[in-house]
Amino acid sequence: MDCVTEVIDLKKQYIMGGQPLEVLRGVSLAVEPGEVVCVMGPSGSGKSTLLNIIGGLDRPSAGTVLAQGEDLAQMDDERLADYRRHKIGFVFQSFNLVPSMTARQNVELPLTFAGVPAEERAQRAAAALESTGLGHRIEHRPTELSGGEQQRVAIARAVINEPTLMLADEPTGNLDSATGREILGLIRQMNEDGRTFMISTHDRGVAESIAHRIIHIVDGMIAEVEIGGAS
Amino acid sequence: MRPRDLSALIFSNLRRMKLRLALTSMGVVIGTTSIVLMVSLGIGLQRNIEQELGGMGPATHVTVMPAFTPGSMEMPTLDSQAISEIEEVTNVEAVMGQVWVETMGRAEFQRRDVHLSAMGVPMDKFEQFGYVVERGRLPRNENEIVLGARMPSMIADEGGFREDLTEDLLGGRLNVTFFEPVTEGAGGRPDEAELDLPAETTRRLTVVGILAPADMQVDSTAFVTIDAALEFNGVRSNRIAFPNVIAMADSPANVAAVEEELRALGYETFSASSLQEGMRVTFLIIQGVLGALGGISMLVAALGIANTMTMSIFERTREIGIMKAVGASGNQIKKVFLGEAAAIGLLGGTVGLLFSISTAAVANLVVQGLIATEAVGQQAGAAAVGTATQTAFFIIPVWLGVFALVFAAGVGLLAGILPAMRAANLDPLIALRHE
Repeated sequence: MDCVTEVIDLKKQYIMGGQPLEVLRGVSLAVEPGEVVCVMGPSGSGKSTLLNIIGGLDRPSAGTVLAQGEDLAQMDDERLADYRRHKIGFVFQSFNLVPSMTARQNVELPLTFAGVPAEERAQRAAAALESTGLGHRIEHRPTELSGGEQQRVAIARAVINEPTLMLADEPTGNLDSATGREILGLIRQMNEDGRTFMISTHDRGVAESIAHRIIHIVDGMIAEVEIGGAS
Repeated sequence: MRPRDLSALIFSNLRRMKLRLALTSMGVVIGTTSIVLMVSLGIGLQRNIEQELGGMGPATHVTVMPAFTPGSMEMPTLDSQAISEIEEVTNVEAVMGQVWVETMGRAEFQRRDVHLSAMGVPMDKFEQFGYVVERGRLPRNENEIVLGARMPSMIADEGGFREDLTEDLLGGRLNVTFFEPVTEGAGGRPDEAELDLPAETTRRLTVVGILAPADMQVDSTAFVTIDAALEFNGVRSNRIAFPNVIAMADSPANVAAVEEELRALGYETFSASSLQEGMRVTFLIIQGVLGALGGISMLVAALGIANTMTMSIFERTREIGIMKAVGASGNQIKKVFLGEAAAIGLLGGTVGLLFSISTAAVANLVVQGLIATEAVGQQAGAAAVGTATQTAFFIIPVWLGVFALVFAAGVGLLAGILPAMRAANLDPLIALRHE
């Protein structure tokens, strides 16, 4: 089966205070369909940068990212936006919901930019929110929701366009442990439904409970790959 | 992204910044109002002057005068030979000589003094020149007179009559006193004029008709036959010569060509049409200058929009990052912010246009009232008061309204270009980290 994403010798360098900072130094990996891959490492190890590059939010300094065989480096900004719109679902640590929009409007947002008609958007958003257990909070704004509920809205928004890969950057980082477990349960359930996840975390417990594979990154390089508890 | 969704997103974003929207739009309101009122004033001035010029005769008429010979003391005139020559000019349909009755003194109707000015015209050509008898008929002899359309009301005003005089005047008699001519051969000038009128003589003229409204001069003039005019002026001759004649072009478009040919033949010409054409350019410049003055406030409004959009983008940087993360392209982001800027312009333009229309209406009423009061003070009569109440000094044609809206939206759009490009080019990761 084709890989969802294949990363080959990925390098990323930032210039900080006039000095080059190597964040990723030759990372190579592949994510298979239906997998949950956790990227573990301490702060600043490069795990978020790796997810951002795979998700098309950032561009590598060197190396290749193939999304179902297509090289992201060859895509211009418009095509990269189209890739994010149709192939990727992002879940952020800080939820990143638009505060002025209701839960439904936030979930509809990717479909709005994809040109999906309003009626279909509303139906799909309602179904997505229902699937994350928020069917009753559909017209609530983010400020009226708890952290866990906001993350459920973010997950509903990430799955709304049926992406081939869900990227979750510390999805439980801003939640208490009980709520975090609920979110992990939701992710597990979605994975059982066939969705592929790549999750960055520094919490070993999270990784072990959900991942099929755990990739340890240290100083921008893969230090170890181990089989997760979900395998 | 569908246009409907784009509009919904734009208006939803604008609803979130009501106060800022109102303040920013206020600049556009002021700018639009300045431009619309300034240009409408220019249009009003032009329209009023064109109306005045229109009162000088129909658009196809050309007044032809003989050219002055330098050094000559003699007043040149146009004789029947000259009229024949003018009739031969391309695109000239007809030529008509006219003679002012210059000896007319006071006139009396039903024993009340009224003012009368009369002109002698060839009655066989009069209707060909577009003048229509609305009631009665044209004069057939020296004792008959036809009145211009406004004359019944003018006579009623001057004589202090309260009722409409049209019916009384038709078939009624005017007692007109004529004085001895002041200048030799005034009006019609024969080679051998004989001046033998007594110092003052009174004639009874029967009103046989009233003309349909034509132009300002004709409406306020009475007409007699050429023979009558010559007789009143004390001229007895078989060779009639006119100080000027009216040539009628076959269409207003050919007036300039007719004038050119007549000038080439050595005549002086004048027409309301050519005067209007000359003034049109002048008024275009005036409107441009007035519009540009108003445009200065629009420039300030544009800076206000640019400032508001820049601030808005700064405050919504994270939101832009979120939109990009979920798949919005740079172009889509650009359209959202350009749309917001254009909507601010359009909103301000709409309010400004409505404000301009109301201000123009009030200003017109006030000025008309002042002129009417002045006219009453000068006892200028109901006709003058009526004219004053019809005069508009601020005229906002449909094209100006449409232009104002398009211009305001365009200014908003232009002012939004740089901020929108900045938003479109934001790095999504930096935008997402923005607090």
